[in-house]
Amino acid sequence: MEPFRDDAEIAAALRETRPAPHPEFAARLDARAARGFPREPRLAIPGLPRLREILSATPPRRLLGAGGAVAVAAIVIATAVVATSETGSPTSPVRPLTYPVGRSVRPAVAPRAEQAAPTPRASGGAAAAAGNASPHAAGSETQSDGVQFESAPAPGSGPYASHAARRDVERGAQIVLAAEPERVRADAAKVFDAVHAADGIVLSSSIRDGKAGVAGAEFELLIPAGKLGDSLAALSRIAEVRSRNESTQDITAPTVGVAERLQDSRARIEGLLGQLAAAGTNEERAAVEAELRAERRREAALRSRLSSLRRRASFSRVSVRIETGAAPSREGGGWGIGDGLDDAGRILAIAGGVTAIGLAILAPFALIALLAWLARRAWVRHARRAALG
Amino acid sequence: VTQTLVATAGEAPREAEIAFERLYRSSRDDVYAYAAGILRDPAAAEEVTATAFERAFRKRARFDPGRGEPRAWLFGIARNAALDELRRRGRQAELRAEPADPVGGGAADGVEQSERRLLLDTALGALSGADRELIALKYFAGLDNAEIASVLEISESNAGTRLHRAMDKLREACDGAI
Repeated sequence: MEPFRDDAEIAAALRETRPAPHPEFAARLDARAARGFPREPRLAIPGLPRLREILSATPPRRLLGAGGAVAVAAIVIATAVVATSETGSPTSPVRPLTYPVGRSVRPAVAPRAEQAAPTPRASGGAAAAAGNASPHAAGSETQSDGVQFESAPAPGSGPYASHAARRDVERGAQIVLAAEPERVRADAAKVFDAVHAADGIVLSSSIRDGKAGVAGAEFELLIPAGKLGDSLAALSRIAEVRSRNESTQDITAPTVGVAERLQDSRARIEGLLGQLAAAGTNEERAAVEAELRAERRREAALRSRLSSLRRRASFSRVSVRIETGAAPSREGGGWGIGDGLDDAGRILAIAGGVTAIGLAILAPFALIALLAWLARRAWVRHARRAALG
Repeated sequence: VTQTLVATAGEAPREAEIAFERLYRSSRDDVYAYAAGILRDPAAAEEVTATAFERAFRKRARFDPGRGEPRAWLFGIARNAALDELRRRGRQAELRAEPADPVGGGAADGVEQSERRLLLDTALGALSGADRELIALKYFAGLDNAEIASVLEISESNAGTRLHRAMDKLREACDGAI
């Protein structure tokens, strides 16, 4: 046999020996091609082969677009769920409780003062109560006599006085009523009647006559805490209620802390009195007396502070406003551009939060999947190269 | 072959079907010849050919004309299928049957030509898988150097150099077999 003379002869021989498919196989493959290469079902899950087919036949850009649309839809749905379930301001230390108009309002925590609420005569010169019942926030305060108090509870009472058997709760409410200009005075009289009926106190009142939008009235009231619910109901019946808000603040911790410090102060006075009796010299006596005076000042201030705290729990401050004319857009429940901007900003913030949370959850899984995919791809490439020898 | 055989993703589905059908018609025998050349097993070559076209059909929407010719893209898929088959078997299959040649092979050939064909087949079997793949792509599938370079993801000049070396080895193997 003659050897090949050159590469061209080898190439020609190679082309001659080119393998050709068997006619039966070619016919079978043609038939499959005509049917669009139907995949034989290998998995028992119905619809999965079709889904795989759709996914593999879809261009990556369209897959990305569809995935993006699904992600956006998920964010929108999650944002809507969060926005509709969210109530109140998360940064407000005292969350206002807004109830539908006309509902009877009962606090979840019954104030201690319900059992021990004093019953001063209406407008009966309870100036002390009026002065001290303002809803202060619990915190560090300085009394007029210069004695400084720390609101931090005494040892054992804890930061929230969580072990206290009864809770001291300060409550407040704001009601806006709508009235015709000619009915403002009559409605104001009904406000006074409601306060008197509850043995409450009118701290201040202001009534204006005039046309719609000008006429109106404003009241600052103190209502015994135990009668607040009934009083609010009575006030709500006077005229159409435009808005009604209630707030509560637990002041148990400062009350308990002041009471404990007052007890300590009294014990110390007792001790100082004993030292004074046993003092042998004038110098010793003078020193103990000076200390005793200071401690008595402290005891008096603490007593006043405790009394003030208990009055805050006993009386609830209620603001009543009677308006005439159309309701203001911001406060009357109307919806304006400012409200729209506020809502838009809030919804954008929620959407951003939802997206961040979603990314935080998905990112580790996506990273693991990406690493696994890269590793598998590298391994398959290596194995394919190795398969060729 | 430089004509566009696979429609782009933006084309209408019907046009994409027609384009794929053209690619199938023009490449069916070439893909089989390549697979048979690298696997040296007609049954495995049939399976790989069917798998390659099936995969290509499923991925036809993902073809990007900017990244190469459709034939090169198709042979890239066929190559992966063939190499996966080689991996599955764990060894290079021996030629179990003479490749069918309905056109040229038959009783009409002379003894000399049959002996040469057997010699060439023996020499091909002595080559490494990578060299045999180059020869299969060039002379069985009919790809030019640019297409081979695209399939193997190497430069065109590198493809030419490797092909030249593979032919040298094949000639030496033929000479050695004589």
